Amino acid sequence: MKYILPKHELTLLLERWSAGHAVLAPQKAGAYTEFLPFGAQSELCLEEPHNTRYPPKALFFPQSEAILKYKRNTGQLENIEVKPEKRIIFGIRPCDAKAVALLDTVFAEGENQDPFWLARRAETLLIGLGCHEPCATCFCTSADSGPFNTEGLDALLTDLGSEYLVELLSERAAGLFDGLAHASPAQQKSAQTAQTAAEHAMPKAFELEGLKDKLDRVFDEEIWAQLAQSCLGCGVCTFLCPTCFCFDLVDETQRDTRVRNWDTCMYRVYSLEASAHNPRPTRKERTRQRLMHKYSYWWDHAGKLGCTGCGRCVRYCPVGLDIRAMIRKAGAYESEVLHAN
Amino acid sequence: MEQKPKIAFFQCQWCLYAPEDQEWVDTQLPVNIHLIKVPCTGRIDPLFILNAVQGGAEGIVISGCLPEKCHFKEGNLAARRQLAEFSSFLDYVGYDQERVRFVWLDLQDRGRIQRELAEFERQLSKLSPAKTLATRIPLNEGGAND
Amino acid sequence: MTELEKNIRTEAERLLREGLVDVVVAFRKEDAPLRPQPAFFTRVEDLENLVYDGLCANNLANYLTRFPDETRVGMLVRGCENRSVNALVVEKQHSRENLTLIGIPCTGIIDWRKVVEHTGEDILGYEDRADALTVRARHQTYQLPRQELLHPSCQRCIHPNPLSADILLGEPLPEGDPAFIRERVESFEALTRAERSAYFKLEAERCIRCYACREACPMCYCEECFVDHNSPRWTESGTSPAGTHAWHIIRAFHQTGRCTSCGACERACPMDIQMTYLTDKLGKDMWDTYQFETGLDHKTQPPFAAFTLDDKKHFQAGGAQS
Repeated sequence: MKYILPKHELTLLLERWSAGHAVLAPQKAGAYTEFLPFGAQSELCLEEPHNTRYPPKALFFPQSEAILKYKRNTGQLENIEVKPEKRIIFGIRPCDAKAVALLDTVFAEGENQDPFWLARRAETLLIGLGCHEPCATCFCTSADSGPFNTEGLDALLTDLGSEYLVELLSERAAGLFDGLAHASPAQQKSAQTAQTAAEHAMPKAFELEGLKDKLDRVFDEEIWAQLAQSCLGCGVCTFLCPTCFCFDLVDETQRDTRVRNWDTCMYRVYSLEASAHNPRPTRKERTRQRLMHKYSYWWDHAGKLGCTGCGRCVRYCPVGLDIRAMIRKAGAYESEVLHAN
Repeated sequence: MEQKPKIAFFQCQWCLYAPEDQEWVDTQLPVNIHLIKVPCTGRIDPLFILNAVQGGAEGIVISGCLPEKCHFKEGNLAARRQLAEFSSFLDYVGYDQERVRFVWLDLQDRGRIQRELAEFERQLSKLSPAKTLATRIPLNEGGAND
Repeated sequence: MTELEKNIRTEAERLLREGLVDVVVAFRKEDAPLRPQPAFFTRVEDLENLVYDGLCANNLANYLTRFPDETRVGMLVRGCENRSVNALVVEKQHSRENLTLIGIPCTGIIDWRKVVEHTGEDILGYEDRADALTVRARHQTYQLPRQELLHPSCQRCIHPNPLSADILLGEPLPEGDPAFIRERVESFEALTRAERSAYFKLEAERCIRCYACREACPMCYCEECFVDHNSPRWTESGTSPAGTHAWHIIRAFHQTGRCTSCGACERACPMDIQMTYLTDKLGKDMWDTYQFETGLDHKTQPPFAAFTLDDKKHFQAGGAQS
């Protein structure tokens, strides 16, 4: 089903939704954009060339979350139950929505499912806004996604100038757009044209076809030492990444609480074992790990690519490392050096 | 009845020369004063003080030996520079410097620690609120955490 | 290629060819727009990738602690980097003999985020000229005045000239006024305690504990950081207020007498958190109390590594601290 939402009616629609849901939408928070609760005073930031800085995975998987409390003297445990309110996340970009769907493979499938994740997912609708002007750090089209990709979304908006074309993608969002006019064939064509133009506007970052095998073959090569040279080993790329999911459990003993915090494979202590052995002893192993996980191991454990090309790691790396360039170089090394021999 | 202010008392184990003073601290310290005994004031890491502040301490007392009388020769000299600057820094981010008191004790200072603690406690109520950085105490106790 | 870049490449080439250094630490051209990257050059043929301009935003002294003492390191240093190197040599993190410092009097580092903010556009490329920055954005090209785009630490810079370079490329620039940093600290001190506290919390609580500030800082080189301590657990590791406050307070404090006010921490931060207002206060106190400024030479011990009985004058014996 495709509807038309005139832009001047957007805030009215969000207000209508607010009667039954907590609505979160991109708004300015200081120098950058963040998903904040939508209210009467809200000023939406939908026209920016780039995404929210902090990834929306945090809305399902908070960076720091208390998961258990205990009584110090008795050892009695107290489970923490998450009872989320019904939510609508409006204006999420296709790269981030796909990332949430990818994280379902980690938190919502198989033997061990995360009750916190599941509870929040069940009560949340994702209404996406496609990108008609991808920016220089975006590369979703090279990462098995696209500026109007629909994976993970309950509905997708395409900007047509003075209105949005709304594509309903799931039953759960059906009631949200009641009363809107249906999109005409001309408007649908307009949307398609805009979508194709956006996809073509993004240059190819690297060749995805055959990439996993190439990376697997260069695993032991010295190219990684070169690529990792200037890497600081901080957590910016992993914490801003919408698909990174590693976490650490700590007992905050002064607050008698067990807390789950995001963790990062970029820290030395991440893989440091109690024996003092570290299977990833230097920057080379750790930087390689990040690339390999996204572009090779995700295929192994989930049958999907682990990156959606959002570009945050490229944009905010403190030393300007560009994962696209690193992938290209690793791939080229394989073709030109290994393969040639 | 007004609650007495929570005070964290870092005491160097050598500085109370009179045995009756040490005994008073060990057995009769008022319940609102929390004793942390250290081998030397040089052992006090700013982290300890911050931890106390975040735990709701409304006053910090550090007692040690006079500069030239340190049992470990120079421990208290190192402490002085660091801890003085740290209390100034805490003031910069909102924790009143007057809430941190250093007491350097000498042989003749019998009975002084009791007086210092009592006077310090009285003076605390006149200062600006301490709760601003007390993020580890629950909200209903007036803490500042989520 | 600018004249200065040419001279840097020539110098780097000479050092490598003559076997005077094992590596030259400098910058290479960007992959992502506006982001030239730190790079380690060991081969002359790679020097064609060496660049230098105002978007070279990292403190290269940060990489010094990566190299064992025996490695002869050639390093590009601007004012702040030279002082960081001096501070590291004082802390015995590398011997001065095995260092060749290629000094560049610095006209300031441009904050790439200010460029984005000024144009409001997606940036594709740039060119840094002495007076202006030409920026090629998606819809148009801009000429932006350099001074407005500098990172605040550079706008307040006191020592743009490398103080102890072995080779100096370029004419020395006038030193800045120490009042720049002092005034900023004093105006913060003039706020009420409640206002200062509110500002501190507003900044610190955005922290996502990524430790980019720590990793970008040349003086944070501890194998085990205080945040990695578990027994006893002094600070929380998550993004709770307790955790984020403790991180910023203690990290700044561990920089007392060691920080050169280079601002690399703020430039690295993905959440635009202000931090130099903390370290600048400590730096001002070190000057006022001990007449110490970090990195002016590679021998003088910082105040917290030294103490004397004379410190008595800062304390009243037997009374409350002054």
